Amino acid sequence: MEGVPIRNARRGDIPSLLLLWNAMMKEISATDSRFALHARAQEHQTAQFQRWLQDEKHLIVVAEEGGRLITGFAIASVTAGNGWQIPVRVGRISDIYVAAPRRRQGVARRLTGRLLDLLYETGVGTVRLSVAVGNDGAHAFWRSMGWDDLEVVLQKGVEPGQETAPGA
Amino acid sequence: MATEARSAVRAARRSDLQALADLRMRFLGEVAHAEPRLRLLADARARTEQTLPVWMGQDDRILIVAEGEASGEDDAAAPIVGYAMGLFSTVPPVLRHTHVGEILEIYVLPDVRGKGLAGALLDVLTEALTGRGAEVLRAAAPIAGNADVARIERAGYQPLQYVLERRLDTV
Ligand SMILES: CC(C)(COP(=O)(O)OP(=O)(O)OC[C@H]1O[C@@H](n2cnc3c(N)ncnc32)[C@H](O)[C@@H]1OP(=O)(O)O)[C@@H](O)C(=O)NCCC(=O)NCCS
Repeated sequence: MEGVPIRNARRGDIPSLLLLWNAMMKEISATDSRFALHARAQEHQTAQFQRWLQDEKHLIVVAEEGGRLITGFAIASVTAGNGWQIPVRVGRISDIYVAAPRRRQGVARRLTGRLLDLLYETGVGTVRLSVAVGNDGAHAFWRSMGWDDLEVVLQKGVEPGQETAPGA
Repeated sequence: MATEARSAVRAARRSDLQALADLRMRFLGEVAHAEPRLRLLADARARTEQTLPVWMGQDDRILIVAEGEASGEDDAAAPIVGYAMGLFSTVPPVLRHTHVGEILEIYVLPDVRGKGLAGALLDVLTEALTGRGAEVLRAAAPIAGNADVARIERAGYQPLQYVLERRLDTV
């Protein structure tokens, strides 16, 4: 089966990207309030999309249906390693989202495949990403694609009663 | 024991630099042993020696050490048997809390473990980061080093994210 076409994002995609980015954050924070957005997140993210689309170290790809409907996106960047541990350069996937009605049709697999090809072309040999602990669907997705757990990031709120992990 | 351990912790000084570099290499070596995907680059020692004095001069970075027992000889300085490093950052306004305190490294020499020094280092670092204005504290630990994760959890931290990795030469 032919999959939905994947292409590099362009400036005109920013409204769709923002819509999907918001839906992604809403979905993630619904299961874990520690991912609730800052009051200025929209403004900040709009500026980020504008900047990233002009920055060759950032890669943004979108899935587009029928030449007009964006149903998914993914973002990666290339950064230097920390300087003492391998790798010297690392690719990082920071976001991926597929609109709920289009899931389990291989869209995220195709978005990721395109990003990994682009990262490989830049000479990066290692790619990392973070998944929220309660996001079992995304964790299952990455593991099915051959990714392995490396580290766990733990958090503690300073104020008593600050938001906690789901189920805690 | 906790009070005793705590009184062994103090801010790092310029005179600790050599001992700190040694401890840091042992720390990174242990991490690399437990998790080969975090093994060291060839110039890790040189970079550590270059970077430690810079870090020591930064306001947003906290470097503390744990002293062991002095040898008993007159004027002999107590050796440094552990250290911890933290960073206070103001991150872009994406998530609600933008003032983040990161626990970057905590290490205690194997022969003085079990005396509460790591806990004391973590407590002092946590207080220093909170004092700088951190709203949330974060610490990352390799999944392969289970004991570190358990110790951080005992200090009231809860898992937030998993970091996953994929090598592209196996694609
Ligand atoms: C995670 C996400 C991007 C996956 O998108 P998708 O297009 O549905 O994924 P694909 O169809 O390409 O899935 C490929 C394989 O991954 C695995 N997989 C995907 N979603 C899964 C889920 N919810 N549960 C278990 N396995 C899953 C399956 O093995 C799947 O193959 P299959 O459908 O033949 O069984 C999507 O669920 C999503 O947008 N979630 C919300 C946002 C989010 O969590 N982003 C991740 C941040 S790290």
